[in-house]
Amino acid sequence: MEVPDPLRKSLGLVFCDIVGSTRLVARVGDLVAAAVIREFIDHADRLSRQHHSLMIKFSGDTFLAAFENMNDVMPFIVSIEGLLTPNSALERLEGFRFSLHYGNVLYMDTSYGNDVLGEDVTVAAHLSEVAHPNELVISQAALERMPADYQFRAGASEVRPLKRVGDVEFRRVKLLEENRRLFKLIQSFSRP
Amino acid sequence: MAASDAEPMPEVVTEAIVVIDLVESTLTSNLFGWYAVGRQSLRDLRSLIGEVGKVCGLRCVRSTGDGYLLTFYDPQSAEMAAIRAVEAVFELLRRIFVRNQEVSEERALNLRCAVHLGEVDVVPNDREGPHISMAFRLEAISRASLPAALNPIPPEQFPLQNYVLCSEEVAGILSRRATQWELASIGLLKLKGFPGWREVFRVLPEKHATDLAATARVS
Repeated sequence: MEVPDPLRKSLGLVFCDIVGSTRLVARVGDLVAAAVIREFIDHADRLSRQHHSLMIKFSGDTFLAAFENMNDVMPFIVSIEGLLTPNSALERLEGFRFSLHYGNVLYMDTSYGNDVLGEDVTVAAHLSEVAHPNELVISQAALERMPADYQFRAGASEVRPLKRVGDVEFRRVKLLEENRRLFKLIQSFSRP
Repeated sequence: MAASDAEPMPEVVTEAIVVIDLVESTLTSNLFGWYAVGRQSLRDLRSLIGEVGKVCGLRCVRSTGDGYLLTFYDPQSAEMAAIRAVEAVFELLRRIFVRNQEVSEERALNLRCAVHLGEVDVVPNDREGPHISMAFRLEAISRASLPAALNPIPPEQFPLQNYVLCSEEVAGILSRRATQWELASIGLLKLKGFPGWREVFRVLPEKHATDLAATARVS
């Protein structure tokens, strides 16, 4: 079968990291923790398709999702954060850390599925290490392409040198109860 | 009083840590017998490590069952210990390549090697600390690890045996202080128990003159 050529694409790159997954294993045991993480993966996969993600790739307790349309990104992040609602199967999780970057990457078909490659993937990955629990770190490049509402909600500009990349400007957005309420509202409208 | 309370605090040194794993050693021993093949293979490996290591600052050799944990020390410079360790590993692979031409197929040795540098606790005939765990995590990386990596090389390009991986720390030292090897990133990986993404490199002999991974048989 012929493999399609890699494509250069400008994409929104979302990283999500589960907070305290090692503590979760210590608290509930590896079998239960694995079931919780599997459930998280199922939900994230479903939500990524619902929000028109180009691809999603899981790595342990982390995922990378890529979006062609930046308007799809925040609803997707809010929906992931919404998985933490009380009495849900994922309420055992302590929270998520998110990062969002916009950059030019190589989108390609590989032996293990679709993947995105490039320095901007590295930027997004390292930005996720800067985020606090239940916080989204947005690079300046991504923020400039976000809907105005989110630009206003972003915190003060910060700069951090990232390994092998150099200085990267970013801002923080707290994923507050407000986001969860918004998500519930959206859900209530979308229910038949 | 706990037994550990009576023990003196261990010496802490910065050493290059090498983890060497014999590829499919358990399978070979089960198939051809521990006494007939397995034991001699491991002894040959230990002997070759001793020969190569004595001029490279080898300080600790610890069996891991199907391989060895080695540490290298340089009294003048910790960074040089990393270079000596990589020299030793490539010399070991070269000698094993030569040996494999002379022995029967079932006695051939094939290795997976990983090099890291960091502070370790010196305990008799052993080393302890998170940098030791890091070296073992690096050694455990395989083709199957790559789909979960960021910016990975195609899994098909990752060799099955007779290769050398190193951490970002060692890659930095090699790029600054040595010219005889090339470094190729295999991707950013999450290593169990360590936070964040770690870039992992494959160390290649210059111009791949003797790419031991490419010439070796897959058992």
